[in-house]
Amino acid sequence: MTQNEKAAAAKKRKHAIMIVLLVVVFILFIAPFILVLINVFKDQADITANPLSLIGEHGFTTKNFPDAMAKMDFFNVFKNSLLITTCATILTIIVSAMASFVIVRNGKWKACSMLFALMIASMVIPFQVLMVPLVSVYGGVFGILNSRLTLILMHTGFSVSMATFMFHGAIHSNIPLELEEAALIDGCSRWQTFWKIVFPLLKPTVATVAIIDAMAFWNDYLLPSLVLTDKEIYTIPIATQAFYGTYSTDIGLVMAALLLAMLPILILYLFLQKYIVAGVTAGAVKG
Amino acid sequence: MKATLKRVVALMTVLAMSVLLLAGCGGSSGGEEAPSGSTNGITIFNSKMEIQDQLLQMAEKYEAETGVHVEVYYSSDTVSAHMATRYSSNNPYTLSMVDAKDIYSLAEEHAIPLDDEEWVKDTGYAISIGGHVYGFPVCVEARGIIYNADAIKKVTGKDFDPEQYKTLTAWKGLIEELKKGGMESPTGVMKEDWSLGAHYLAQVYEEQDDPDAFLMDLSAGKVKLMENEKFNSLMDTFDVLMENNYAKASAISAEREISEKKLAEGEIAFMFGGNWDWSQINQFDYTENMGMMPVPQDLDDGMNEMLVGGGSKYFFIDNSSNTSEEQRQQAKDFLNWLVYNENGQSFLVNDCALVPAFSNIELPISDPLGASVSKYTNDGKLIPNYNYMPDDHYAILGAMFQKYLAGISDREGFAKDVETYWHTKTLTSHSE
Amino acid sequence: MERNTMAYKSKQFLMFAGPALILFCMVIIIPFIYGLFLTFTSWDGVSAEKPFVGFANYVSAFKDAYFWSAIGRTIIYSAFAVVFVNVVAFLLAYMVTSGVKGQNFFRAGFFIPNLIGGIVLGYVWKFVFNRAFVAIGEAISGGTVPSLLSTTGGAMFCLILVSVWQYAGYMMLIYVAGFMSVSDSLKEAAMIDGCTPSQAMRNVTIPLMRTSFTTCIFLSITRCFVVYDVNLSLTKGEPFFSSVMAAMHVYNKAFTYKDYGTGQAEALILFIVCAIIGITQVYVSKKGEVEA
Repeated sequence: MTQNEKAAAAKKRKHAIMIVLLVVVFILFIAPFILVLINVFKDQADITANPLSLIGEHGFTTKNFPDAMAKMDFFNVFKNSLLITTCATILTIIVSAMASFVIVRNGKWKACSMLFALMIASMVIPFQVLMVPLVSVYGGVFGILNSRLTLILMHTGFSVSMATFMFHGAIHSNIPLELEEAALIDGCSRWQTFWKIVFPLLKPTVATVAIIDAMAFWNDYLLPSLVLTDKEIYTIPIATQAFYGTYSTDIGLVMAALLLAMLPILILYLFLQKYIVAGVTAGAVKG
Repeated sequence: MKATLKRVVALMTVLAMSVLLLAGCGGSSGGEEAPSGSTNGITIFNSKMEIQDQLLQMAEKYEAETGVHVEVYYSSDTVSAHMATRYSSNNPYTLSMVDAKDIYSLAEEHAIPLDDEEWVKDTGYAISIGGHVYGFPVCVEARGIIYNADAIKKVTGKDFDPEQYKTLTAWKGLIEELKKGGMESPTGVMKEDWSLGAHYLAQVYEEQDDPDAFLMDLSAGKVKLMENEKFNSLMDTFDVLMENNYAKASAISAEREISEKKLAEGEIAFMFGGNWDWSQINQFDYTENMGMMPVPQDLDDGMNEMLVGGGSKYFFIDNSSNTSEEQRQQAKDFLNWLVYNENGQSFLVNDCALVPAFSNIELPISDPLGASVSKYTNDGKLIPNYNYMPDDHYAILGAMFQKYLAGISDREGFAKDVETYWHTKTLTSHSE
Repeated sequence: MERNTMAYKSKQFLMFAGPALILFCMVIIIPFIYGLFLTFTSWDGVSAEKPFVGFANYVSAFKDAYFWSAIGRTIIYSAFAVVFVNVVAFLLAYMVTSGVKGQNFFRAGFFIPNLIGGIVLGYVWKFVFNRAFVAIGEAISGGTVPSLLSTTGGAMFCLILVSVWQYAGYMMLIYVAGFMSVSDSLKEAAMIDGCTPSQAMRNVTIPLMRTSFTTCIFLSITRCFVVYDVNLSLTKGEPFFSSVMAAMHVYNKAFTYKDYGTGQAEALILFIVCAIIGITQVYVSKKGEVEA
């Protein structure tokens, strides 16, 4: 008993130290955002004069929000971003999980190992290398730019490598082969085995990939700016970009736009957290 | 297991539906909204951030007035990179606003000649290549020393008259006086590479008798900058700016907004810049008693009575099959509207606070820096911009100039850097 | 079953990997090949003419001293950033999976930097370094304090710091998934066998997390090697090119200096350097991974 109590006390102490550490790091991590939050309620002169003051000389102002929203055509671009991010994320998860399954389980097939090697290699291609060729081919030759569907497919194409890479790791080390073999013996086809047995076990990785990709799509500027040319179908980052300039910037507006752009993805993240936690159960299957 | 399968099926259905929905949207937006390729209205690319707001508002009024739909676009990307992607994807703007150097690289292949336009006779700033006019000048911009007259008067007690401080000796005297009077550091220096490299250093070339010949000689190794009168004269002035810089201790981390704020509010009295700085200065508690003066120099070649500048930002009209004849006409009409319509003129001068490049526009310039530029322009006291600089000039030599500003290299080292840079270039003459 | 026939294999492969393969080729392989072709031309980026120049662009890329110093700088930057990102991320992941109160809250918090794009991040931090830090520094010392960003070593330091700040939360997420996949029963079994918690960590948890390490290290290497956004908005390569990373140099070469062919050729060289490092790393660590 005393042994256990001792252990419990040691654990408590350890947790206390950890919490202190976490709080300190946490403050470091969000300090810049607090700065954003403070300055979003000030006008530009006050921001430049003293970025650290809580309220500027010209007083507290909320005008940055309606201004930013109007200039961005917020609800429309929000709708576009949501649509594009959702579709591209789901598509990425489905095609990459499928691809990684066949790659892991049939690693000896030439096609599999080649595809995987190509994908890994492609992850280090700087986007700037592909930028002009990409628009030359799909705009210049096929003329299919300026559509949300094209953007969704391109987003998926660009993120498939990394998602496959991550699912590859997860299937490789966390999904026991015995389970699949059992399913096959029970008469499942491989297609069924994948969807019924393997995919559900990948939940923590799905949640991770979903967050990472959704965030990347939500924030991506360069690719959408190349693909989408009509204002009607702009996404949030393109609309926000209108605030930055070479010769002048309205920092207050930028900060407001920034907050508006961040909120949805933050909410998504908090929501998906649960599934990452649910990974504990998924992992336990293996033991 | 069943439940999971159901969920997967549901997911797939949602996905399929959303894809279909999107395909539908894509189709319909092509149908009603008229993409840039169709004949209904024109698209304008704006590369001058500070007038984006005004352009957007103008577009609405313009449509109400003329019935022509105008879409205004802006990109914070490098102008040439943005143009490259638009041309690669076969999706050019009807009217594109670019920098002078871009006109030289783009126009012959992508622009229509504007020789027969009425406005050509009313401006001295249009860009012609091979005998054809391609570039419509959006405005005139000039650089020199920006001063805050109120700040000076507050210390000296006298009205500030820039005419009296044309020479470096006189100007230095004034700075000493300001320092004695309590203004510890009367100047500001922008550390931006474009300000140092493309503006201040460029002035060394532009103030030569024949800039083109000078640069040819420089690249051929025939010029020793340390022996060049102009280089030394301008660097002497720069040394004074540097010596009295409020941010002397950390000159290359001085932020532009802070310098402009100090100038606007009179904490410092002088800064090298241009009339585009007004869009920054007017964000702060500024005084109207500001203006621009030539860079003071002790040489008596008359250059210390002139600002350096000329046309800035040019419109060209796309010549590809993506733009219809009708759109080209609408674009030409728009340019004419800017020059000859009362509302167009007022848009340029009052809304955008630009100095127009057209002699027929007589509206008074509202901002003090623009007013100075306009005065020097009308008096013919403007040294023309040199528009043929190699594309990497401002970045590379801007960085070398920053080294000088930071005290890492001295004048001799900097001169050597400039010479070395030019030695790697093979130039062709541009004199027409 | 006819599991060894070509037909079976192709059917299986296409059924699972087909969609990914098609999208991947369309978006990456085809443009890449076209880009490769462009490195043999002296195209300026906008002209309709693409004159063929053979290997001239590669010759000038090899002669471009700025490019090679940018590559060297990128390697140094990546080395520091990768180590610190992973150490910080691993420690954070350990702490937020240890069962402390509010661990979900912390997980969310550490991830926040990833919620906004690199460009904006850079601007926010520039603001912090140039204004907030300077203001604090001046309040303490009483004199003028130069911004870290204006010194040659300082700019690199800032870049590394911001990268760690930006990616640690991201990599933490992957490490968290790794920690969670190591079942508690295994750890408990080790403890019952007489392992101390730190021994259990070293001998059970870490080996089982090799996949997470492989993933995170690979991801951080590739991210760091092609860093552009933060570089642009935080330092812009200043002062005096001392913080120009390879991707930024390539972009400038191609678009700002309008030497598209050379820029593209340099990008290709960058890609090869990066691919060699990345693939070697994955190969080496995959070899040592514990099979499930």
